[in-house]
Amino acid sequence: MLSLSCQPTNSLARQFRRAFHDKRWPGWQVIIGIETHAQIKSRQKLFSESLTSSLGEPPNIHVSPFDAAFPGTLPRLNQDCVDLALRTAIALNSQIQTRSSFDRKHYFYSDLPSGYQITQHYAPISLSGHLRIPDRESPIRIMQIQLEQDTAKSTFDPRTRTSKIDLNRAGIGLLEIVTEPDLRSPEEAGAYVRALQAVLRAIGASDGNMEAGSLRCDVNVSINPIGKPPGTRCEIKNLNSIKFMQTAIVYEVHRQRDLLSKEGGVVPQETRGFNQDTLETFKMRSKEEAPDYRYMPDPNLGVLVISPDRVQDITQKMPELPWVTRARLVRECKLSEQDADILLNLDAGRDGRSAVAYFDDLCKQSRKPTVVFNWMVHELLGRLHTARLTFADNPLSTSQLGELIDLVQSGALTGTSGKLLLREMLARPSSQTPTERALALALLATNQEQDIDQVCAAAIAALPSEAEAYRRGHKNVLNKILGWVMKETRGRADSKQAREQLLSLLERDVEP
Amino acid sequence: MRVNVTRFGTRGLSSWRRVIQEKNHSVNAFVCTSQLPSQPSGSDDLLLHNYAVAVKDMICTADMSTTSSSAMLKDFTSPFDATVVTLLREAGADIIGKVNCDEFGMGSLNTHSVHGPVINPFQLSSSSTSWVQREKRSAGGSSGGSAAAVVTGMCYAALSTDTGGSTRLPASYCGIVGLKPSYGLLSRWGVISFADSLDCVGVMATTVASTRHVFDILNVHDTRDPTSVTPHARAAALEEARRVWPTSALKDLRIGIPHEYFPSELSDEVLSPVRAAIENLKSRGATIVPVSLPSTPYALSAYYVISSAEASSNMARYDGVQYGLHVPLPPGSNLTNSASMYARTRSVGFGSEVQKRILLGTYALTADAFDNYFLQAQRIRRLVREDFNRVFRVPDVLSASNAVATPVDGVDVLLHPSAIRTAPLLEDDDAAASTDGLDTYVQDVLTVPASLAGLPALSVPLPNKNGQAWPVGISVVGQWGCDDMVLKVGQFLEDSDVS
Repeated sequence: MLSLSCQPTNSLARQFRRAFHDKRWPGWQVIIGIETHAQIKSRQKLFSESLTSSLGEPPNIHVSPFDAAFPGTLPRLNQDCVDLALRTAIALNSQIQTRSSFDRKHYFYSDLPSGYQITQHYAPISLSGHLRIPDRESPIRIMQIQLEQDTAKSTFDPRTRTSKIDLNRAGIGLLEIVTEPDLRSPEEAGAYVRALQAVLRAIGASDGNMEAGSLRCDVNVSINPIGKPPGTRCEIKNLNSIKFMQTAIVYEVHRQRDLLSKEGGVVPQETRGFNQDTLETFKMRSKEEAPDYRYMPDPNLGVLVISPDRVQDITQKMPELPWVTRARLVRECKLSEQDADILLNLDAGRDGRSAVAYFDDLCKQSRKPTVVFNWMVHELLGRLHTARLTFADNPLSTSQLGELIDLVQSGALTGTSGKLLLREMLARPSSQTPTERALALALLATNQEQDIDQVCAAAIAALPSEAEAYRRGHKNVLNKILGWVMKETRGRADSKQAREQLLSLLERDVEP
Repeated sequence: MRVNVTRFGTRGLSSWRRVIQEKNHSVNAFVCTSQLPSQPSGSDDLLLHNYAVAVKDMICTADMSTTSSSAMLKDFTSPFDATVVTLLREAGADIIGKVNCDEFGMGSLNTHSVHGPVINPFQLSSSSTSWVQREKRSAGGSSGGSAAAVVTGMCYAALSTDTGGSTRLPASYCGIVGLKPSYGLLSRWGVISFADSLDCVGVMATTVASTRHVFDILNVHDTRDPTSVTPHARAAALEEARRVWPTSALKDLRIGIPHEYFPSELSDEVLSPVRAAIENLKSRGATIVPVSLPSTPYALSAYYVISSAEASSNMARYDGVQYGLHVPLPPGSNLTNSASMYARTRSVGFGSEVQKRILLGTYALTADAFDNYFLQAQRIRRLVREDFNRVFRVPDVLSASNAVATPVDGVDVLLHPSAIRTAPLLEDDDAAASTDGLDTYVQDVLTVPASLAGLPALSVPLPNKNGQAWPVGISVVGQWGCDDMVLKVGQFLEDSDVS
């Protein structure tokens, strides 16, 4: 079954069926392949002891003599990076190679201190694999996975006309994951990248964050009239969001179609960039201008031998894969597929653990998963988003949010007070428990009926004209009276209970 | 006057420096010397206590500059000591200074140096001029400074490097002992790369015993060098050598004489003493066996393709951005093209020999040439290795496949001349011309096969009564990891001086 569905999907019938559905370019088939570079989430760099860095750190603080290509330094392969590459290979059903090796890719650029990048050109660590994406029968085939070094970061200041180089990133491990040309629309391309992100995050191989640069995509696009052989491809480099990637593909399809629609028109093979302001692709270099990278086997690193024992060990310790998690969330936690996907696509939390792990933790103490989801996604995440933050900024521990949920569920806190408390906890994070904070804020629900009765009577007494209006049939006025009650109790009153009490008091007054 | 070495060990550290002060101006071996330690480092029982060791300027030291004899690194000081330097310091050695060499180790005469050429300290005993006025000959390269420093008594021993003969050739020209150990035994951490897959740290001293003394201190596994061989493989090779030659006696030694190593270019002044040395060993009981290493004629071209390809890659880091020389573009230049910035610095910073090899290596790695040059050279390299495995009795412990069966009637070591001639004249127009021509490369023909195969090779000076002739060296080559055996045979050769 699997092997069958792995076959190239080039049957004419399928091409027609898929392509004709795309009203944007009727009669044309779009062929897309994606090359992603995912920063490996290891503590240290690929070949040196320097720590890896995160965005926003001061420049040039994680640099060893090796990273700066000082003479006399030699690489030492970080086996943690290899393990994460192996996990990725296993997750992508890819064939781990018993023997792989490293090569030097040469070019002169200020972000490459040694004048070469160590990569796996001739013998990658893993070959042929596949990844399933939603709404598509056949999986996307993975051509290969290779380990390589990230480059330094150079920024050009046009005002001072100077280039600045930050070596923090130089030598961080990258996983280059290359697909076969199996994708057929911008949407499929987006779905593939999202699926890949989810896998990399689930197995802890990478943050997969495109905005932060820990996942970058190069996209190959070609178009051809349906039923004709594939056209000439153009590569669009360095796309740093799924939205931009899809926009770039759409632009590229239209551009190539315009070229091919002219009499004798051809698409020249070239490498293109994407302008985020104009949302257009632009020519960087033609095939003739492509650099000769002079690949050479690295004479220091030798052969990387992966034993079957090592693969088996990693297979046994594999974290749950996204599609397994998704099925579990839907089947066991009774979440909708849509809600499951929301959880799966969230950034990792502050401690680096995934949002799903956070969710699972909350559900552990026999809390109802749908209630947990509601608090975690609609309330907590909603609040964070309002403040332009993401789940990665979430300051609440699972025990804090869990206790808050318990307080509301037990009735100790009204829903309104619970939301107020959450807002308070996010605005001023502390190690205090929600109970302590609720007490300090006098938010704990007053469920003594005596109190509510008194406040409701006081409300009617305080708002005689409103009470009169209600009695004359203006039922909406009740909300105003209820609002007075809630204001007076600072939200502690159970609004349902208060409403009933107000009704009974008002009705009673009518009767005599 | 033959410049001979005084007794070592008893002399104080300051006396080494006195010799440097007296003689270096006429030799140009040292390019930098360290401060005399105010108090002897470590205790008296350290193995190298009170011994001065010179270090080739391609090996990093944190307290002195490391220039690789290149304008590119003229003011470069490494932030760390090479592992071999650390080991020497830990053994109590006084790292007395840095010695001259060919730029990045590329050259056979030590003439391609920003510090100027090294002048061979040797003088024929028949000469009537003063030592300073002596005939100016090359000390050999690339480690000419190391050899010259040792032979003049400026230090007890010197570290060199050897990529294709850079230790053995100067040892031969200067009349001292030079060991290129098995590839992967001595750490390359902190050794500036010329061609990583061939580079070895070498040891030079006046006697085989002192060479072994220093070698034993450095012969340890280093996790910072990914090509450093595991203790397990080291032990396995020693074990095999002991099994094959358990008595360590000359009468049980089988010596191979490879006829490919006696080319027509070999001069008589080399051939006669080499023959005499072989005869001497034979007369003392050794078995002499003529052998053939048929891939030898191709070794030189394979060596130049591989070493130049790796050099072109290793030299790419010298771009004037992170460290080293930076030559600004002239005012008004087009600054938008970064290539012009690199080209400017590299054109000024690299000497002609380095530039030539970068160009050769860059070409060999281009997509069009890669298969015909680089891959072909790698194949020849394998054949060269198999040639050696076919003649040695000791199996190759590093080869997993054992493509070649170990012969029962094989030999333990090979003997051949270290060089095709004695030290050439520096002023010689022919020699100057040959410096840039193919002739220099032919000189390497005897030394590169052991480099390609990663084998231990030791050059030992042949008997030269009272300095009547220019020094000639003979090379002992053994199976991988048989450095101990090679040194033992070297000892036998040295002993023939007195026998």
